[in-house]
Amino acid sequence: MKKYWKFISILVVILLSIGTFYVKSATSEENHPEFVIKTQSGDAKEIEPLILDGYYSDTSTMNYKSTNVKISSEGSTYERRSFLDQIIGQPPAVIKVYQEKYRSFMRGKGTNVNSFSETDQVLAYADVDYKTDSFHSHDFTFPISILNKEDGSVQSFTVEIPDSENMDYAFMEDVQMIEDELYLITNNMIRSSESSYDEKHVYTIDLNNQTITNDETLSQVPEGQEGNHVVAEIIRTSPTEANDHLILLQKEIKVIHDPESYREEVVKQEVISYNLATKEKESIPMSDLPIDSELSFFDGSSIYFIGVEEQEIVVSPYHLADGKAGEEYRLQLSGDADHGSAPMTTIKDGKLYLSGMQINPKLNMNATDVIVADVKTGEILFKGQITLDDSEATNQYELYLHEMLVE
Amino acid sequence: MKKYLQLVNFEFNRIVKLFTVLLGITFVAQMIGVVVQSRSYLNLANEKMYKEMMPQAEFLESFGQMSFLQIAKSSWFFGPIALCVAGVAFYIFFIWYRDWIGKNTFIYRLLMLPTSRLNIFFAKITTILLMTFGFVAVQLIMIPIEIMVLKAMVPNEFRLDLGVMEVVTSIPELTLIFPSSIMEFIFNYGLGLLAVSVLFTGILFERSYKWKGILAGLLYGALAVVVLLLPLLLHEFVLNNFFYPIELLVLEIIMGLLVLSASIWVSGFLLKKKVTV
Repeated sequence: MKKYWKFISILVVILLSIGTFYVKSATSEENHPEFVIKTQSGDAKEIEPLILDGYYSDTSTMNYKSTNVKISSEGSTYERRSFLDQIIGQPPAVIKVYQEKYRSFMRGKGTNVNSFSETDQVLAYADVDYKTDSFHSHDFTFPISILNKEDGSVQSFTVEIPDSENMDYAFMEDVQMIEDELYLITNNMIRSSESSYDEKHVYTIDLNNQTITNDETLSQVPEGQEGNHVVAEIIRTSPTEANDHLILLQKEIKVIHDPESYREEVVKQEVISYNLATKEKESIPMSDLPIDSELSFFDGSSIYFIGVEEQEIVVSPYHLADGKAGEEYRLQLSGDADHGSAPMTTIKDGKLYLSGMQINPKLNMNATDVIVADVKTGEILFKGQITLDDSEATNQYELYLHEMLVE
Repeated sequence: MKKYLQLVNFEFNRIVKLFTVLLGITFVAQMIGVVVQSRSYLNLANEKMYKEMMPQAEFLESFGQMSFLQIAKSSWFFGPIALCVAGVAFYIFFIWYRDWIGKNTFIYRLLMLPTSRLNIFFAKITTILLMTFGFVAVQLIMIPIEIMVLKAMVPNEFRLDLGVMEVVTSIPELTLIFPSSIMEFIFNYGLGLLAVSVLFTGILFERSYKWKGILAGLLYGALAVVVLLLPLLLHEFVLNNFFYPIELLVLEIIMGLLVLSASIWVSGFLLKKKVTV
């Protein structure tokens, strides 16, 4: 034994030192503060289905490491992501459900929620595929797969995208399925001799013949207008619900070149409703209120135009069926929240959920709003704020929220 | 088994000097680093607060508190670690070639031992592993000692106390050496072990066939890399992202084990049949 003492002692040192390190790392609880949604008015029951996802980072150590945090009516839970979680990644909740339910169908389909459309009978998938070499992109195609939920059969085919000679890239913005027709809404980036511009297209695909029966360009740049360009944004919808209308917010933007700066000004704003089946376009009259396409929402029958004005959220509903604008209403945001940066919104079951996105005591943001309102009338059902539970705790932190889920 | 342990002990005793010298350098250099960094922070504080009459709060506001991270980011701390890494890398080759050089070629005696020749391979790879883990383990013991010195030098109000875990996980380069979970630890060092086994096989090719052996060794290395990356390449270019990430991980582990066993088998074959003294 004496012969082996060096070897044995190094072995003991290794086992003890590395062993202790990993036992400690597995058992140590990281010391993170508790965030709560404090009720200011209304019924706290309203926020029970609400879950906010974000990052918490301790800024006192300057290491910018952040931890995932979920905040709900029950407080905050921190998640340290394990090695396996990092490898598996975190697909959006909808995709996760699809992957569990239709494991084989979801193979190689990516995690872009916009590429999927679900009805009672089928789960449809379409994406844009193309090849790139050093100078340009070519061979644009739509790989399409339809899963029949009842018998599990899959129909897969690929369609070439017409008129794609000058396309630089394209991506899928939405997929809708109505009866035997699939509607693919894409954003195509077109390269021209002087500049590049975006176009929104709706491709209609007949599933029986597996061909493109219609290609409609929804927004196009007016050629030859010096400095002006058009941006079209699609108003958000619930990713899992089918819609037969597409709502576009089209902005004509004028670029103003000052000697020292460069700014953009919206010259004209227009909302277009496009009926996918009949291919009818209709312009929707709108007031001159601010509209933020990231905040606005279309629930299939009504459009809720949402924008931020000073410290207020302005909501103007528009009912598609009878073509009438509803009564607009305003929700007051608290003073120190978010210095004008927009909150997150979502609409579910007739309720508008709204939450601020960040807390940063260094920038004097100690709390952020959470509001639940009746989306039709604007009646506030719940109003509260996310704050630290313990006001004595550290003030060197940042909290960023990036996703809201209503279960 | 007994022969293997004897061989490991024997190999380890041959590197103990190099090992302790490197550890000594590491300890001394890092200690100097702690003292130098703390001093320069304190000097700065003195200068600002007494010469320029800056209030303490304002000083802390603009320069921040002193923490072990400042030390860990300096080259006093990283330099010796790099030296140890280089030492291990060098010894991966030297552990074989030292047996062939010198007056009495030692490999002759090793090969004549009444045991499986594969044990020589296992003993050498174990020694490399012991050396590596030895550095990692002792560094983990050094950090708390260095933190104690820092605490003794810098007064409380100027100091932000961090634990070993926080220090190690805050610096990306350190998380490579000390991954924060045991899974990653096994994964990282398993990959290292795999690389060493492939290198050993390459060295044995060279020892068996001389110049032609270098070519064979390089080819073997390239083949190992291709086999290891095969699932990823197929997934990306042929199968259209067919696999889920967890399946890819399992496939990669299988491929890794495959390459490891191939290396052991080829090395055993070369040691038994082809190696020349």
